[in-house]
Amino acid sequence: MTDGQGIELDSVSKSYGTQVVLNSASASIAPGEFIAVIGRSGSGKSTLLKLIGGLSSADSGSIRHGPHDLAQMSESELTLFRRRSLGFVFQFFNLVPTLSVSENVQLPLALNRMAKPDALRRSADLLDRLGLSACADRLPDQLSGGEQQRVAIARALAHEPGLVITDEPTGNLDIDTADEVLSLLIESCREHRATLIMATHSRDAAERADRVLRIVNGRLEASE
Amino acid sequence: MKSALLARSSIRFYRSHPWQLTLAIAGIALGVAVFVGIELANDSARRAFEASSVAASEQTTHRLLPTGGALSESDYRALKRDRRYVASAPVIEAPITLNLPDGPRLEMTLEGIDFIEEAAVRGLGGLLIGGGDPIRLLTEPGTLLLPDTLAARFGIASGDTLTLRAGANEFPVVVIGTIDDQRDLAPRLVTDIATAQEIAGMRGLLSRIDLRLDDASAESLAANLPVGSVLVPAAAEDQILRELTRAFNTNLTALGLLALVVGMFLIYSTISFTIVQRWRAIAVLRAIGLDRRELLTTLLGEALAIGVVGTLLGLWLGRELSEGLLELVLRTLDDLYFRRALGASDASNWIYALSAALGIGATLVSALIPALMASRREITSATRSRVERGAQVLAHRFAWAALPTAGCAVVILLLADRGLWQAFVALFLVLVAGAMLIPLATHALMRLIERPIAALAGLPGRMAVRGVIDSLSRTGVATAALTVAVATVMSIGLMIASFRVSLIEWIDTTITADLYVDIDPDSDRDIETALAEIDALPDVVGISRMRMTRIETPSGGLDLRAAAAGPEGYGVDVTAPESVSAEQALANDRGVLVSEPLAYRLNLNPGDGIDLPTATGLERFEVAGIYRDYNTAGAQLIMSLDSFRRWFDDDGLSSVGIHVSPGTDESTITAAIRQSLGTNNRARIRSTSFIRDISLVIFDRTFQVTEVMRLLAAIVAFLGIFSALMALQLERERDFAVLRSLGMSVRQLFGQNLAQTGLLGLTAGLAAIPLGTALAWLLVHVINLRSFGWSMDFIVSADAVLAGVAMAIAAALLAGIYPALVGARADMGLAWHDD
Repeated sequence: MTDGQGIELDSVSKSYGTQVVLNSASASIAPGEFIAVIGRSGSGKSTLLKLIGGLSSADSGSIRHGPHDLAQMSESELTLFRRRSLGFVFQFFNLVPTLSVSENVQLPLALNRMAKPDALRRSADLLDRLGLSACADRLPDQLSGGEQQRVAIARALAHEPGLVITDEPTGNLDIDTADEVLSLLIESCREHRATLIMATHSRDAAERADRVLRIVNGRLEASE
Repeated sequence: MKSALLARSSIRFYRSHPWQLTLAIAGIALGVAVFVGIELANDSARRAFEASSVAASEQTTHRLLPTGGALSESDYRALKRDRRYVASAPVIEAPITLNLPDGPRLEMTLEGIDFIEEAAVRGLGGLLIGGGDPIRLLTEPGTLLLPDTLAARFGIASGDTLTLRAGANEFPVVVIGTIDDQRDLAPRLVTDIATAQEIAGMRGLLSRIDLRLDDASAESLAANLPVGSVLVPAAAEDQILRELTRAFNTNLTALGLLALVVGMFLIYSTISFTIVQRWRAIAVLRAIGLDRRELLTTLLGEALAIGVVGTLLGLWLGRELSEGLLELVLRTLDDLYFRRALGASDASNWIYALSAALGIGATLVSALIPALMASRREITSATRSRVERGAQVLAHRFAWAALPTAGCAVVILLLADRGLWQAFVALFLVLVAGAMLIPLATHALMRLIERPIAALAGLPGRMAVRGVIDSLSRTGVATAALTVAVATVMSIGLMIASFRVSLIEWIDTTITADLYVDIDPDSDRDIETALAEIDALPDVVGISRMRMTRIETPSGGLDLRAAAAGPEGYGVDVTAPESVSAEQALANDRGVLVSEPLAYRLNLNPGDGIDLPTATGLERFEVAGIYRDYNTAGAQLIMSLDSFRRWFDDDGLSSVGIHVSPGTDESTITAAIRQSLGTNNRARIRSTSFIRDISLVIFDRTFQVTEVMRLLAAIVAFLGIFSALMALQLERERDFAVLRSLGMSVRQLFGQNLAQTGLLGLTAGLAAIPLGTALAWLLVHVINLRSFGWSMDFIVSADAVLAGVAMAIAAALLAGIYPALVGARADMGLAWHDD
């Protein structure tokens, strides 16, 4: 659904109790664009990503992926949407601990009902390109943080989604590894022509984005 | 200050996690409730039995009993003349039928006593007058005292006239008061001895003489007994029943303790989960200076508080439960052993104290392991994978420890080859050893089925299987708890099935005739003439004769069955020696067959001797064999009718078996038999099918209390696995949030979670098969033998095994529905940030 189509946020608001997190936030994101979302802690970066990813619903306003308004989608449609069109890279990697590296990468393919031989081939390709072939049969807790995050990138891109959403992907890594992982993420998304939306505190990461959106008082502002 | 802060922290944790708190309290409350319920019911029944026994034998030290028939009043008078035996009282005991106005006919015992002499022997302590003046019994012939419950039930008041029937004769009697039968083992009608002699047709005769003797007098009397009598200690008569009751109670107590053990799994699971959940906070506390002992004290303090609340709740629940259980226990005792009504009495308070100690103790013991693990863990080892690796190491250690645990059970069984409690300890050790193997067995089974499941269900299937392995700290405990419960239920099911099959086989072996006729001793027709006439009927192929009598031996009262073989032999299942038939064993004039319960109680083996009081005094008989007998659970022996008549000078018959040709119409032959017996004969004629049916009805009713206990244990187990699964799902919420984010639907995740709980159920069910079979073997060949002296064939019934496996899977799936749903609906936002 997101493939080749932009994302439109129109007057999106979200509150938790009395705390207003997003207040009539609007933005337009073009296909294949790399957007960095910055803001102070608690400013609503993660909330914005969850809303865009259909993990949470806005109180008001609309979020459109191409012609599709997330607010109008049922729970099962949202599940299908995430399964087919989105990839996630989390700060704490969140690999499935009971699956091997290769199986973690195959997981979104399996959910999309790709035939096993095809899924195996694609995961092997991805792991090879990310330099993880040697780790394919290991379990996540046998990998370093950097390796785990690279597996998470492979998993996020395996089913070739149109949009990759990532929240502080380098927040849990040392500087050198963070830089390496960030480069890999950006290159991989560009290679797959995927839109990348990244919430980050890192000035370096933000500087590499096509565009930076800052959340100030619940609103989205373009940042210089 | 520090303790207060820690306590406040604990309270706030549980306040924000009411599920865990509720489950922990529920676990211990249910465990305690089942134990208390059983013990209260047991104790009440036991005390009723004790009280009635004491009442019956209060101050009576010995009884002089006839070796056959009755004692003569002249013997009593002779005894009275000797100063040493002056404390003696004559007693008449006779079976009568009480005809109630507009009510049923009740078969009861009429007891005639001499009120003046009775006072010297046992006072009137054995006869608690509930209302009315007993002196009127002396002054007004034809009066009696009625059990008060009977009077209340049928609305009989003083002054009412009732009809007693003894043999063919009927007697009107006037009720002048009641006796308290709450403490009475055998509710009976009490009257003056003269009235009883008249009604029972025993003028000049006595059923027994009660005596209060010192050792020297007893020895002297034993050396100079009146002809045809035997002197027995008063306590010996009730000893068998006492032992059987104790064995039955022990069985129930063990079941109650089992419920508590399963409850302990629930506590362990809950407490350990709350520790895992707070591990980060605990690590912080340790980092800022809380030492291991303080942490341990805090965690055990929490457990103590939970234990106290759960135990108090359990005591209350148990008290409620005991009322229902008491009825079942009393009915079982009544059906199985006493064959007479037994009343309840108030239970002892010590049970509450014992149960409270057990409940709180069980909680602390259950909490000790996770608390120790938490206090000994390194502060930095907070990651879940390390916890699970630790659990896998522990699983191996437990598996190794299972071997010596099972070894201890074997040693205990070998060292104490007759002890019942020791047998139960061994049974529990086997159960514990089995439970210890479960985590490793779960791990191994999951490894085994991982590939096939993955081939069938793909990655979600593989995740379900690996989820079990990677959460072994939770799944191992949950599976062990479920296995213990299912194995127990399965073992009892197998034992009951074995017993039922053995009982049916025994009935088929024993009841060889097609019809049984209880002889009416008061019939005016000569019985042998009547039997000859019956034997000549065209459909009759043979008759087997039997005489039942009660004899008193130095080792207690025994039922002696004197039998003449019918067309199909004696109808006795000889179990030892295997090569000897009943016909061979009883061919010897001094040969007797001894029932298994009697052989076990007196430790008799083939070839041993047993002294029996014959008409000419004590004679030694040879135990020619041991036979299976589920009839009375008491003590019975068999000798040939010819030998009996020679030794006991008794030509009477109690019953006969009529063997008829196949296809004979039952009502026609019954009518023909009645005609031969005489029109005024009130003989009871029962068909084999009736006896068989009634035996099975009583059997099934006997095990109702066991069924209830099984159900209660299953409920506790269900809660145990529910708690563990709930803990597991809550613990893995983040994983589920990730999967949901990746596009797994609620239904897929629910299905995966439920498949996982189904796998746990399957593991528990499969593991329960060998464990349940081993426990059943012990129940059949050790516990039942030591409790009741019964041997039975061990039959592994496929139904019981499959029912156990199905129960395990069903319980796991049912218990897993809600936790699976909770997991499937995990907040996807949890994937975004660390805890």
